[in-house]
Amino acid sequence: MRKTIASWLFIRLLVKPAVIFDELSETRPSPYVVFFRFLLWMALAPPVFAFIGASQFGWRLGAAEPLYLSPGELIPISVAYFAVLIFGFVSTALVSQWMATTYGARSSLGIHLAMVTIVVAPLVVGSAVHLFPHIFINVLVLIPALIWSMYLLYRGLPVVLQISPERGMLMSSALIGWLLVAAVSFLGLMVALWGRGIGPSIGV
Amino acid sequence: MNPVTEYYHDRVVTFLVMCSMIWAVLAMSAGVYVAAELVWPTIDFGQQWLSFGRLRPLHTNGIVFGFGVSALMATAFYSVQRTCHVPLRLPRIAWFTAVAWQLGVLAGGLSLLAGINAGKEYAELEWPFDIAITLLWVCFGLVFFTTIAKRRIKPIYVSNWFYGGLIIVIAMLHIVNSLAIPATLFKSYSLFAGAQDAILQWWYGHNAVGFLLTGGFLGMMYYFLPKHADRPIWSYRLSIVAFWAFTYSYIWAGPHHLHYNSIPDWVQNLGMVMSLILLAPSWATMINGIMTVSSAWRKLRTDPALKFIVLSLAFYGLATFEGPMMAIKSVNVVSHFTDWTIGHVHSGALGWNAMITFGTFYFLVPRLVGTELYSVRMANTHFWLALAGTMLYILAMWGAGVSQGLLWLSLDELGELSFSFKDIMASMTPYYALRLVAGLVFLTGAAMMLFNLFMTIKGRRTVAVEPPPVVAYGVQA
Repeated sequence: MRKTIASWLFIRLLVKPAVIFDELSETRPSPYVVFFRFLLWMALAPPVFAFIGASQFGWRLGAAEPLYLSPGELIPISVAYFAVLIFGFVSTALVSQWMATTYGARSSLGIHLAMVTIVVAPLVVGSAVHLFPHIFINVLVLIPALIWSMYLLYRGLPVVLQISPERGMLMSSALIGWLLVAAVSFLGLMVALWGRGIGPSIGV
Repeated sequence: MNPVTEYYHDRVVTFLVMCSMIWAVLAMSAGVYVAAELVWPTIDFGQQWLSFGRLRPLHTNGIVFGFGVSALMATAFYSVQRTCHVPLRLPRIAWFTAVAWQLGVLAGGLSLLAGINAGKEYAELEWPFDIAITLLWVCFGLVFFTTIAKRRIKPIYVSNWFYGGLIIVIAMLHIVNSLAIPATLFKSYSLFAGAQDAILQWWYGHNAVGFLLTGGFLGMMYYFLPKHADRPIWSYRLSIVAFWAFTYSYIWAGPHHLHYNSIPDWVQNLGMVMSLILLAPSWATMINGIMTVSSAWRKLRTDPALKFIVLSLAFYGLATFEGPMMAIKSVNVVSHFTDWTIGHVHSGALGWNAMITFGTFYFLVPRLVGTELYSVRMANTHFWLALAGTMLYILAMWGAGVSQGLLWLSLDELGELSFSFKDIMASMTPYYALRLVAGLVFLTGAAMMLFNLFMTIKGRRTVAVEPPPVVAYGVQA
């Protein structure tokens, strides 16, 4: 079993996912390599896109003129965005590793981090839309990206983690449950903080 | 051994299943139409009966009472016979309840279209219908509990606890909340007034969600999931503990619908705290379901329906987490009155209630009519449509809801509202269009399912299938 994964994995993943799934199924990557070579940089892209978009063009929430925030407000938000993504990627890999016992899947952390890399790739590419921060255009681009991500999760997980498609289906659905709960938790945390005046001042 | 072979009464179940699916398609169509009205407000064509105010209660009542209750009656009648090893005790009353319920939903739906409305959410039907519902509910309870009383095995299986809880608590809620003084045949005034009326209404409203849309459907899960998976529930002890914890804590949670309203602050706080406690029994059940199905993965190869149940558990987990979170006052200050609430309701209604019912019906109908499902491929397509529709709906409403909440609260430097309500609502159109697409996708799947089940039953029309004989557990031949 190979221990390394090719550096151009990310590009090929978007073009030929099935080949990548097969290759990864025969690989035992180190978690450090996956994290530092791929996930860290992937988590950096959306906040950078968002920072550039928000500072250059301003957020269009729909009801008002573009909303410009000062760099003093944008930098903490972008850093928080980056931190949330890193937390989300790593915690999902850990949850996936924890679930592996139940579903009889491979349990090395590296392969679960690689699985997260596969799943988030379309969203990271889609996040380029943050360069134009109109909220609905972002929604329109990120929803197809999300559907693509879910397709990669359901198709890729059983191959990469070497389990039957049926168990893969169960494990993928369990991960969707975790991701939905995590997403809504952040939504709740965000509005609670915002409602208490912690966050950018748009007068709330 | 019994001198005469007994048979389960299953035809009434088939009838209720098909009625439930017809109501699902009709009520979801009404929902899609009102969603379209939020995008194009003029498509009521000046007709009162086509207006949002009349079609919306038709949508909610059609789903809850038509689709939901028919499905619960069907599955309760089916499972109580199997878990008690006896046929239904009062089959004629069962048939009467099943048929009269459909007529009641039909007449009630027409009354809502005619503008006859008691003005209480999820309790819109006027007093003659309230009395009819009470009588039919008593009949439902009679059939169910007399069958339990005649059971051949001593323990009462956990699904029956949930169905029993559904019948008793909904009776209590419905009767108390509907107490009113009739003025005319179609107009009455609630016996309660002001804040008391509001607290009572949401004691009813929230627990209708709790004991009907959650508890009742958990009864369905606890019977059909182990049947599907062909193995016992992962932890029976946990299921019983979860039932009592659920029953105890749910009943207090209603006031979270009235945060920041003119009801006492301590009542709001109590509602919030009990909502948070509710997470524990809700998730205990989810874990029980997921662990039961995780060891039965081989079944997924042959059973297209199991997928729906697996996914319904994921959305159940989301909805039962999101609900307590939205009950926290500092989250509620943003989420209240926004489309986030609508999204939350639909993550439960589409993701949990509809999905588990679809999974159960795909399992049940071929067994009831003694044949294979007409099209497994169509059922698989339905699965992906249901998943896509639900996800799209939730995401659209999260986007709309959070935007509304923040923009409504936004103040300018003079302390005045930054944005007018009208402008904010006008900016919601793209989200509403997205929600309309989500609804259409979900409805398409439901319509495919109705066709699929209809063809499954039609294919067996020439061969009359006898219901199976009763398994007399523990009775020596």
